[in-house]
Amino acid sequence: MGLRSFFDRVEPHFLKGGKWERYFPVYEMVESFLYTPKTVTTVAPHARSYIDMKRIMTYVVIATIPCILMALYNTGYQTNRAIAEFGASGWRASVIETLGIGFDATSPMANMLHGLLYFLPIYITTLVAGGIAEVIFATARKHEVNEGFLVTSMLYALIVPATTPLWQVALGILFGVVIGKEVFGGTGKNFLNPALTGRAFLYFAYPAQMSGDSVWVPVDGYTGATALAVSASDGFQELAARGMTWWDSFLGFIPGSMGETSTLACAIGLVFLLATRIANYRMVAGCLAGMIGFSLLLNWIGSSSNPMFAMPWYWHLVTGGFAFGLVFMVTEPVSGSHTNMGRYFYGALIGVMVVLIRVLNPAFPEGMMLAILFGNVFAPLIDYFVVQANIKRRSKRNG
Amino acid sequence: MADGNDAPKGAIARFLAAPADSVGKTVFVAVALCLVASMVVSAAAVALRPLQQVNALRDRQINILQVAGIYDPTADVAESFAAFEPHVLELATGEFTDEFDPATFDQRAAADDPALSIELDDDPAGIGRQSRFVTVYILRDDAGEIERVILPIHGYGLWSTLYGYIALEADGNTIYGLQFYEHAETPGLGAEVDNPRWRAEWRGTLLADENGELQISVSKTVPPAGAEYHIDALAGATLTTAGVNNLVNFWMGESGYGPFLDRLKAGDV
Amino acid sequence: MAHKRREMLIDPLVDNNPITLQVLGICSALAVTSSLQVAFVMALAVTLVTAFSSMFISMIRSQIPGSIRIIVQMVIIASLVIVVDQLLKAFAFEISKTLSVFVGLIITNCIVMGRAEAFAMKNPPFESFIDGIGNGLGYGLILMLVGVVRELFGSGSLFGITILETVNNGGWYVPNGLLLLPPSAFFIIGLLIWAFRSWKPEQVEEREYKIQTVETH
Repeated sequence: MGLRSFFDRVEPHFLKGGKWERYFPVYEMVESFLYTPKTVTTVAPHARSYIDMKRIMTYVVIATIPCILMALYNTGYQTNRAIAEFGASGWRASVIETLGIGFDATSPMANMLHGLLYFLPIYITTLVAGGIAEVIFATARKHEVNEGFLVTSMLYALIVPATTPLWQVALGILFGVVIGKEVFGGTGKNFLNPALTGRAFLYFAYPAQMSGDSVWVPVDGYTGATALAVSASDGFQELAARGMTWWDSFLGFIPGSMGETSTLACAIGLVFLLATRIANYRMVAGCLAGMIGFSLLLNWIGSSSNPMFAMPWYWHLVTGGFAFGLVFMVTEPVSGSHTNMGRYFYGALIGVMVVLIRVLNPAFPEGMMLAILFGNVFAPLIDYFVVQANIKRRSKRNG
Repeated sequence: MADGNDAPKGAIARFLAAPADSVGKTVFVAVALCLVASMVVSAAAVALRPLQQVNALRDRQINILQVAGIYDPTADVAESFAAFEPHVLELATGEFTDEFDPATFDQRAAADDPALSIELDDDPAGIGRQSRFVTVYILRDDAGEIERVILPIHGYGLWSTLYGYIALEADGNTIYGLQFYEHAETPGLGAEVDNPRWRAEWRGTLLADENGELQISVSKTVPPAGAEYHIDALAGATLTTAGVNNLVNFWMGESGYGPFLDRLKAGDV
Repeated sequence: MAHKRREMLIDPLVDNNPITLQVLGICSALAVTSSLQVAFVMALAVTLVTAFSSMFISMIRSQIPGSIRIIVQMVIIASLVIVVDQLLKAFAFEISKTLSVFVGLIITNCIVMGRAEAFAMKNPPFESFIDGIGNGLGYGLILMLVGVVRELFGSGSLFGITILETVNNGGWYVPNGLLLLPPSAFFIIGLLIWAFRSWKPEQVEEREYKIQTVETH
């Protein structure tokens, strides 16, 4: 195997005393990405098991594939539909015209390609900007760059709107990697989800583009509202009048952040993550129960002035970032709770908070991102109480 | 502390040398300190009050001058302000009243006074109680004809009540300007109500169509009535925009300045 | 003695900074740093209050009964703050409007109380005054640093003078709205602490725990 022998040959240069010793993390990143890592740590993000990190991270990336495909298709589909009405402009349109593919919203091929022209620049920017930050920290701190960043960058690219300017994409991921992860010591020591931290940064820093009350279809002249913004102002019943059915929402043919629209694609990812035991079912169950329970409660309370009260749970499920957040963010092992009992509470807390923010906060139509970050912050406290309760129970039993 | 060798002599020196923790000393220090501190504080408050009142008044006057478009930072504020003719207006009739002195009438205090205000049933501006009287300012040109009227308005946005003034041309239908002087909306979003470029959009916008129907709208899309009645929404600030839209429609409507504007249009003012 | 006094003045700037090392006075550092002008006035006000309250407290320190000493300090500080507030309202009305309640909250600024209790109660008036000035300046330094970042990147200006023309005013710069919100000062102060401690590693606190790593193969 030529590649292996190449690595074996150059490895000594990167080890202690070698001439490129300082760049060991860079070497390690490339090498362990291609081969099995040499060392396995026993703390998070392994969720206290001995599976190696590379496998977890690779599986999570695999689980996002349905979402990526949907992201490509739907971004292209929404754009092409809008173009039919408003006309095309910009470099992407020129590329497509040069290739002779056209803007036919009924052609899967044209949609996928158009979507790719939006997704790829964002993803590459994320990889480059975040990667540079990772390598700088890894080199300075002499630890390895790990595959966690592949997951972070993929999730981050999927939760930003297609219309985000690339410099904002770069700023967001830098913030996410540095403030969300590296200042706390790097992978496994972060208490916030770095992809969400980056997204939250964009949300507060450039709210005019990010707050989700205008629609994220990248065509000049197109105005409208996301499903949640419509529900907040006119009630979810109004969605049908705007041509958004529950099934559209479930399958993902509605405007929104690139990878978040399709509940079905997320569900496929969830099945895969649960089957491989990477996602912990307790968190998912807790989160679903919290969301359904609290929205039923609000349905029952009702409100004459706030139409969001009446929004049923199955609409909450398919709109906004709920499904994507549930599958890929809530289940993230590092920033969540580490005790089994705690995982139920952690999930439920997020589920309740999503509905609370969506329904009762007038400023934010979407609540999943904020709810998960809120849950992240509370996770250690939840663990603490679970452990204390355990200690008390045992000392009573044995005492 | 006094030197250990010398025995304290006078009564004051003896008192100062006494242990600080004795009951007498504690009471004395507490009382003395409170006396001194209260004297300093009240002296400052009393001595500076006239200056502060001038400042607060000046601040309000500058706002009115700005919205009327005649603010000159180099000129004396009180002198420029003398160009206005202040009146206390009874909203329901649209007539001026001499019951109150316009210089001292306080609309916000009046809104809390049951005798001077009404409880609103239909309250799109979210203000709760509405004062029956307001102070308005009229600007006349050299010939003594009305040039502009400046009317106070307020209403609820996203986080706070926005207080401001709207200036109308003499026809009672063309907006000359709008400015808020107090609010707590989100910086960068709702707080863009202060952005001069957005405020400039208001100039020349019409309130009502030929039939007298109120058409003005602050929204993302141009209403069916036409662009001359439309102000663009603030980017990313849906609820502040809705608040401004509601409050302008409320104050320009029948429960607000409607009767007064009718009189203005008819040339009765 | 002169040397020591100079140290008292310089020390709180970096080596013993009330914000970055002692982590005091954070509340107002969050609230008033979105514009440099306001931050500057706030820094000035805190410096004056800290210096004079330390001096007055030090002058009567041997007469202050231990049982009511905190209240005595509070009364002196509160009186000074009210005077400063009244002065601002009379002579700098615009700024006092933006500072709003935060002038009043200087009373609860831990730096003022901290210097009174930790230094002024044990040292002569002149030294206490210098110490107050030094700590006020240390506080002011951080306020100004945070203010520069927040105003420049949040509104594209410094001291109200436009540096980066923003999109809303027809320019090219898209202002960062996060920097206009108070929590952004948390990040900036955190990054400052990080920078200070990388520069002066002796400021780093000892770890309270150690993460365990097991090597397997």
